[in-house]
Amino acid sequence: MSVQFFLQQCLIGLTNGALIALVALGYTMVYGIIGLINFAHGDLIMLGACLALTLVGALGLAAAGPAATWMGIILLVVLCGLFCGGLNVAVDRLVYKPLRTAPKLAPLVSAIGVSFIFMNVGLFWLGPSDRSFPELLPSTNLLGGEGLQVTWKDLLVLLVVAPLMVGLTLLVRTTRLGRAMRAVCQDPTAAALVGIDVDRVIAATFFIGGFLGGAASVIYGLYINTIGFQMGFQNGLYAFTAAVLGGIGSIPGAVLGGVVIGLVRALSSAYVSERWTGGIVFAILIVILVFRPEGLLGKRVKEKV
Amino acid sequence: MPMLSVRELEAGYGPIRALDGVSLEVDEGELVAIIGANGAGKTTLLMAISGVVPVRSGTVEFRGQSITGLPTHEIVRLGIGHAPEGRRIFPRLSVRENLQLGGFTQPDRAQLQRDIDEACGLFPVLGDRMAQMGGTLSGGEQQMLALARALVGRPKLLLLDEPSLGLAPLIVARIFEVIAALAARGIAVVLVEQNARAALKLADRGYVLETGRITLSGTGAQLANDRRVREAYLGEG
Repeated sequence: MSVQFFLQQCLIGLTNGALIALVALGYTMVYGIIGLINFAHGDLIMLGACLALTLVGALGLAAAGPAATWMGIILLVVLCGLFCGGLNVAVDRLVYKPLRTAPKLAPLVSAIGVSFIFMNVGLFWLGPSDRSFPELLPSTNLLGGEGLQVTWKDLLVLLVVAPLMVGLTLLVRTTRLGRAMRAVCQDPTAAALVGIDVDRVIAATFFIGGFLGGAASVIYGLYINTIGFQMGFQNGLYAFTAAVLGGIGSIPGAVLGGVVIGLVRALSSAYVSERWTGGIVFAILIVILVFRPEGLLGKRVKEKV
Repeated sequence: MPMLSVRELEAGYGPIRALDGVSLEVDEGELVAIIGANGAGKTTLLMAISGVVPVRSGTVEFRGQSITGLPTHEIVRLGIGHAPEGRRIFPRLSVRENLQLGGFTQPDRAQLQRDIDEACGLFPVLGDRMAQMGGTLSGGEQQMLALARALVGRPKLLLLDEPSLGLAPLIVARIFEVIAALAARGIAVVLVEQNARAALKLADRGYVLETGRITLSGTGAQLANDRRVREAYLGEG
């Protein structure tokens, strides 16, 4: 059982890690562009999950055939992505943008406030207890037999996350918007001086981070099958940790950090004990930050005097 | 009508008033030097024209249109290029990407490529460094990149902030050569310089800025021969 058991845990870790990575990207992109830890990001994803649950009911997906189910899942990813992206842009516009030149603590505290507002909206939407998210995908083993279990759910996570990450990388590396985003990250004033509308680029960044979070919320519902109004806090915390571990501001860093944390969580739950998992994850974070304060793939920033 | 006209401009940071009623004009194709000591407000003046530092009172007009209070990117789109103090190229973008961003407002890709080629024609060393990260260039190359980046945007007026600061004399000479050649292309220039001698030699006209006020103005030659300028800025007397 040992090798197979180990591989099974790695698969669980990888899928969980991919999910964490998708959320971590929203933290790291916003931090990279305006230096804000967006504490409301986890709760944004909770609201995305609320919408996903509502849509599953409204579209009657639980009773749909296989083809309609897959179409429905794609539709959910797009709609929840647009919803979270749009909401993220609205929050930037109303809350963070007026504080752009204020001391860093002001937008940070406001983000915590937005997080509470979202959580209360979620409380209205879902009610106080956890809700189960319908199993839309069959949990038969695709590999057959009694060996390693790979289900459609596992594949779904990787099938949605991988294209989104490739798309994001291409966007940032090769497009005019991506170039503008990197320029604003490095020097917003110089970016404005070449004619870039910095506020629009920031809004686009919030939209993209929110869209990825919205996609993550759908996958979360389908994969974990339980959502609740408090899910944003813990998931946000792990994703934020992944972003810091990988090097906050770094897109590949967020992905690496997510996968590392996913694997550590799965392996420590399997081989040590579930109740030690949180402690082990953060102990590893502390050790890495002691030796590499900039994170695994972060850049060492020299403060200019 | 002058191309740029700045009237009674006041701007500053918090309680500090860096510009205290500055008025100046720049005509089409003219090269205007602004000289002054450290902290006189030269950089703030350029930043206020570009809309980076907010204007507290007074007006800035460009080609007959008020640009006071416009956001920076719109001012740039109207044709005011700005190579800021300290070069401020994008250190973790390649030279090519820096130049492409210089033409951010150019929607036509073929035209953008021609503009990049033209700017590299002025500084051939950049052509050899296209794939290199901006931050790995030498100081002189970074200054050339900053100038080229501003030129790719096809400005009608170019604001240059201390382009010779900290550079080797040979490179300074090359940069001043290019600045002198801009006038021939019909690009007006506002040149802020510590190197007052070189700047006044090149300039059609000049202004002396002292603690946020214009205290003297005249043609380049008049200022270069003025006793007060010679004592204070040219290290004579």
